[in-house]
Amino acid sequence: MSRHHRRKQRFKLRSFYVWHRYMGVSAAVFTLVIAATGVLLNHTEDFQFDSKHVRSDWVLDWYGIKAPQDMRSFATGDRSITLMGEHLYLNRREIEGSHRQLVGAILKNDMFVVAVSDSILLLTLRGDLIDRLQRSDGIPAGILQIGTNAGGAVIVRTSLDHYQPDADFLHWSRRDNGSASVHWATPSPLNPGLKSALQHHFREEVLPVERVILDLHSGRFFGQLGPWIFDAAALLLILLSLSGTWIWLKRRR
Amino acid sequence: MLKRLVLLLLLVPVCTGSLARGTYQEPEDFLSQAFAGDVPEPGIIWLTGERKDAVKSLLGHRYPSLRIRYWKAGERSAWILDEIGKDQPITTGVIVNTGRLEQIKVLVFRESRGWEVRHPFFTEQFRQAQLNESRELDRNIDGISGATLSVRAMKKLAALALYLDAELRASDVSSSP
Repeated sequence: MSRHHRRKQRFKLRSFYVWHRYMGVSAAVFTLVIAATGVLLNHTEDFQFDSKHVRSDWVLDWYGIKAPQDMRSFATGDRSITLMGEHLYLNRREIEGSHRQLVGAILKNDMFVVAVSDSILLLTLRGDLIDRLQRSDGIPAGILQIGTNAGGAVIVRTSLDHYQPDADFLHWSRRDNGSASVHWATPSPLNPGLKSALQHHFREEVLPVERVILDLHSGRFFGQLGPWIFDAAALLLILLSLSGTWIWLKRRR
Repeated sequence: MLKRLVLLLLLVPVCTGSLARGTYQEPEDFLSQAFAGDVPEPGIIWLTGERKDAVKSLLGHRYPSLRIRYWKAGERSAWILDEIGKDQPITTGVIVNTGRLEQIKVLVFRESRGWEVRHPFFTEQFRQAQLNESRELDRNIDGISGATLSVRAMKKLAALALYLDAELRASDVSSSP
């Protein structure tokens, strides 16, 4: 092999090495992100990433997560019972479970009686769930209104009739002339401070940390182009491994 | 042919997940069957004070509500209880007779995995079980691979029903806090 040919080979190798370096630097950031998020995803359950939620405003804004503007609220005593999405709140405290169609809420002795789509919830003044009564527990189907009569008894109205529960809410009986002198729960506007606090709380309960890590890992966090950019990074890593092996073999000769 | 086979293999886990979820028996039907059509009036047991702590200790967390309904006739009591397996509550019917577990049955299963706990080969293990002094089941219950969390939930519910039944016989449980 001539001296000129060897010099040409060395130059080619050096040029290849420069490309290899540039590819390495370019892929480094992506490699770090993919490796770090990969490790975190392997320990999702250990760190409870599936049950923890992102609270950072800019991340929530980035995902376009907005709290519903429409919320139905009932003022009962000095508290408000509010449904936002499927989250039910007693003032700022969220009631466990998912709920739909808040029909009404009243205060009965030291207990809130809340009618939602298919259930009646009995809550303590602190918002602890005493019981969730469903159709199988004998509550009337299709409750349209809830209120109290002049005697303080709870009355619910369905499309067919009016019903009253016993003291323990275990039995319901039909009431003739049930609507007479009943004070029905009516929705009321929520005060702006509480509304803002609930909207903030709602946003903080929507996006699991695991979702963000997954999106960072796949590149989806960075928008529609993200996965393509991460594909390119993966391609770079493949090329790096090939070029690295090739350089190593050439240098050995 | 190969495409169909691949499609079938891909669909199998999806289908088994969705087939697992469902209502196997309505709670009312379970009660009706348990009391041969003559279901007694329900009663209420409040989870307050020491009872609340004991339930928390049995389950590893507090029960989602402060009171639980039961149906009792003679020495037999029936309970409809919920406990989360992994993400969703498993609704279970339990019958206790003179302090021993007579029957435990999965009524509504909402999880995507672990539905094997509804089979009699698993639930039969609980028959005649009772609580020992440490408030644990007096026998070993064999697990099911792939259904660890559902098995754990069923064991907790069995222990809870036995504890609540013992409370029924020991004290006045109907007074609210």
